[in-house]
Amino acid sequence: MAFLAVEDQATKGRVIGRMVIGLIIALVFLIPYVVMFLGSVKTKEEILSYDSQFLPRDGWQWQNYTEMWSTPETPLPFNMASTIIISVAATLLVLLVAMPAAYYTARFRFPGRMAFMALVILTQMLQPAILTTGLFKEMLLFNLADTWLAMILINAAFNLAFATWMMHSFFAAVPKEVDEAAQLDGAGKFRTLFKVNLPLVWPGIVTAVIFTFVSAWNEFAASLVILSTAENQPLSVALTKFIGQYATSWQFVFAVSIVSIIPVVILFFFIEKRLIGGLTAGSVK
Amino acid sequence: MMKKTWRTSALAIGAIGAMALSSCGFSGGSGGSSSSGAAGGSSSGAAGGESVSLNMLVPTYSDTKTSVDGVGTKARWEKIVADFQAKNPSIKITLQVESWENLETVLKTKIQGNQAPDIYNGGAISGFVADDLLAKADEITSPETLANFQDTFNDNEKVGGTQYGLPLIASARALFYNKALLKEAGVEVPKTWDELLTAAKAVKGKTGNPGYGMPLGSEEAQAEAMIWSLGAGGGFGTESEITVDTPQNLEAFNEMKKFIDAGVTQSNPGSTQRTPMMSGFVQGKMGFVYALPPTVAQIKKENPKLDYGIAQPATKDGSAVTLGVADRLASFSKDQAKKDAVKKFMDYFFSDDVYLGFVKGESFLPTTKSGATAMSSDETLKPFLELLPSAKFYPTTNPAWAATDGALKSLTGQIEKSPAADVLKQIQAKADAAS
Amino acid sequence: MTIIPVPSQGKVPKRRRALNGESFLQALPWLAPAIILILVVVVFPAGYMIFNSLRKISQAGLDKGWAVPGKKDPDWGIFSNFGHIFTDPNLPRILWNSLVWVVVVVTLTVIISLVLAQFLSKPFPGRRLVRMAVVIPWAASVVMTTTVFYYSLDPNYGPFNLLLERFGLVGGEGIGFTKDPALALGAAMVVAVFVSLPFTIYTLLAGVQSVPADTIEAAKMDGAGRLRTYFSVILPQLRGSLAVAVLINIINVFNNLPILRVMTGDLPGYESDTLLPYIFKVMQDDQRIDWASALSVLNFAVVAVIVVIYVRVVKPLKEV
Repeated sequence: MAFLAVEDQATKGRVIGRMVIGLIIALVFLIPYVVMFLGSVKTKEEILSYDSQFLPRDGWQWQNYTEMWSTPETPLPFNMASTIIISVAATLLVLLVAMPAAYYTARFRFPGRMAFMALVILTQMLQPAILTTGLFKEMLLFNLADTWLAMILINAAFNLAFATWMMHSFFAAVPKEVDEAAQLDGAGKFRTLFKVNLPLVWPGIVTAVIFTFVSAWNEFAASLVILSTAENQPLSVALTKFIGQYATSWQFVFAVSIVSIIPVVILFFFIEKRLIGGLTAGSVK
Repeated sequence: MMKKTWRTSALAIGAIGAMALSSCGFSGGSGGSSSSGAAGGSSSGAAGGESVSLNMLVPTYSDTKTSVDGVGTKARWEKIVADFQAKNPSIKITLQVESWENLETVLKTKIQGNQAPDIYNGGAISGFVADDLLAKADEITSPETLANFQDTFNDNEKVGGTQYGLPLIASARALFYNKALLKEAGVEVPKTWDELLTAAKAVKGKTGNPGYGMPLGSEEAQAEAMIWSLGAGGGFGTESEITVDTPQNLEAFNEMKKFIDAGVTQSNPGSTQRTPMMSGFVQGKMGFVYALPPTVAQIKKENPKLDYGIAQPATKDGSAVTLGVADRLASFSKDQAKKDAVKKFMDYFFSDDVYLGFVKGESFLPTTKSGATAMSSDETLKPFLELLPSAKFYPTTNPAWAATDGALKSLTGQIEKSPAADVLKQIQAKADAAS
Repeated sequence: MTIIPVPSQGKVPKRRRALNGESFLQALPWLAPAIILILVVVVFPAGYMIFNSLRKISQAGLDKGWAVPGKKDPDWGIFSNFGHIFTDPNLPRILWNSLVWVVVVVTLTVIISLVLAQFLSKPFPGRRLVRMAVVIPWAASVVMTTTVFYYSLDPNYGPFNLLLERFGLVGGEGIGFTKDPALALGAAMVVAVFVSLPFTIYTLLAGVQSVPADTIEAAKMDGAGRLRTYFSVILPQLRGSLAVAVLINIINVFNNLPILRVMTGDLPGYESDTLLPYIFKVMQDDQRIDWASALSVLNFAVVAVIVVIYVRVVKPLKEV
């Protein structure tokens, strides 16, 4: 527990207090997903039972997690792969497109700067759910209907705004002396961005990455109309296949939801430590 | 450390590029759901016939876990399509299955993108007829198949005298009652509104369970409203006119209010959805509900011990009348080759063996004459088949029906708190705006 | 391992951090990818929405020429769809609901997030696990999170009502949280705050992490208390990320569809609708794509006005 020394005057009592508060916070955020999980290991009948219990009454239905991968309703392994491909590609595309723009608009003043930032935020204000027909027609025009690429482009375009604005605010917070020092050393603008600025704005990048990834991961409205082949559809659309006219297999809906949370949590696990980068007393890792 | 990061990013960016080039997506798949794939000059070499691709869009009635035979709608269609394609190698059908909730969204987007399906299973189609989008029934079936549908169902598919839809499956509503609760309350099976109210009061009073389940939430308020309206001799109109705000309907809506005010329904009837409420009846927690053939299958699967009976709906004067609903198949095909291919499919599908397998699997009633004969001995369906002659249908052939249906769904529940007359006026206004 | 000069921050807030003298052409290569993506993907569907709002569209979705007024609507020429929606008696209520919805949800979200972000920046054993727990509502789809809340609140089989029953707070039948307009709207607000928290917390946490430790040290040396340190040193440094977080929250909360559709979807009438759920009712129940398009344009205009006011007042692009 070396880091305890880092914190000023952190008494033992205060640390324990924080742990207790932390535990309470964690529980509050987890409870809905505990409910979801418990639903996923119940039988369909038990989920809607008037004599419901918190824990599975008729035994823990672990087979829900194995059966769901091979139902005729939806090819779940493919849905999972499609979701991963679309979200990863969309996130990388957003980074690639947003980072230079965010850096440049934060560093330099030029005519059209505000207009550009306004154009970007406009994309955030449009709700893809009310644009689906237009998007579908457009993708037909590009001959991209029913392809991943269509959804990669759409997800990237509609999540560009947050990434650009967020990274902009972080680049803007980097003192210009940092750039000037780098340029004195003969670094070009690209080198200045990647070698010098980037390490300082990791927290902003991480936030932008999670934001984009998560919204691409859960996108529903456009995927529903643009991806028609069952294999290409993401998990968010696949879930609806368990909803029948007069009965729904809630156990599968819940189980798929639980499974679809896991990759995002794993991604987060790996990049969370980057949040503790940034400007710390005079040195950078 | 940073180098490594950038190498990974570069790799990933390369991967995007590669996918962009190959215009990505999984194509092909199991059963009949393979992608249409090769467009244009593909000649998959069926001797004699030129290859035709059809798109098919259908909703989910049931899944593996909820259907009575453990097959589920998607697998059922996949098998039918695969068997059909085996017999007709020159016809390729791409099947897309969506939930009822998303069906119309997907359909309308496809129509606007000029990609309307060649085979479509759904609800009201009069709006598409108005835009001249549908193929006529005699273009997509042989005269024999068409003549085999029962006349009432055929008539229900005609707009301006021309038939477009093919009646796929039917249902009739009946009054389901919990025998054990009725016995405990000491009441008989009711035939009139007054008797039903008395019985529901007794069930509520003696057993503590809701006497009558009234689902007026947006899921299916139109069905509940229609059953009650029919009970007063009302209805929602005809092909040429939508009539919601009528004295008969007012009487029916006021009767529903009477039930609500008497406290014999479940709580919050105005915002109760049908499916969860029905699960209450299946669990034995309700005296009476209106339900349909799939409910029998649901009870068999979920609570076979339930001691229940099926009777005709209660009406104002005790005369027999019920709500019938038929879903349909229709085709948006324009060119002759596709229409001919659709015709082959329809004739195959409505042949007794294939068709009865579908209807029984989904626990609905057949719409064909030969099907009705074949299933007349089915004990569980008997009460519904007996009610069918007295069934009245929604005016689905009226182009304003879709909007009326929407208004009934979203506004009927207001009678819990507002005067019935006001609610009927609002719904009528929506219907008028649409016609 | 670069060592960079760190100037004594916080004392010279007026220092400009942007460099001058660039032309738009010089900027273009840096901005072009973003501009192209927006032009290629977003412009067409947005234009299509505006176009549709001026057309008459049939039930099936076919274009029937320029808009014409309905029987009881005012004649606004090709703007007749707007004529209809602006004389729609439901509109004032729906705009009011939208406003209340945004203000309440965003305010609560920001206040709770500021507290939690500050807390999560403090070191304690298990902090990483708590941070992981906090991120889960973000990772899960909003529809599914909302569905679980909806399910939990069901009067007959919902676990939350079961809990109330175990504590003896309700009898055999639970409370119909999703069956009453006020309760349902309140429950929807709780869900909206709940799902907006992770994003806001993390945006702010990223900001908190960027506050130089030496400025906090300096404040402490000056004898500032915890609260004063927070309000005079930390909060001003959070300005950038807070401004962006609030902006994105305003837009996303305003444009939210699934939460209200699920939580208030059982209710008849339009009493608890905000603009977006109402647009979908017009589109799917009334079968009017043209009116829905006009409402969508209005929705966009309202968001744009809110954003312009916000940007004018808060100036999120202004450097510290």
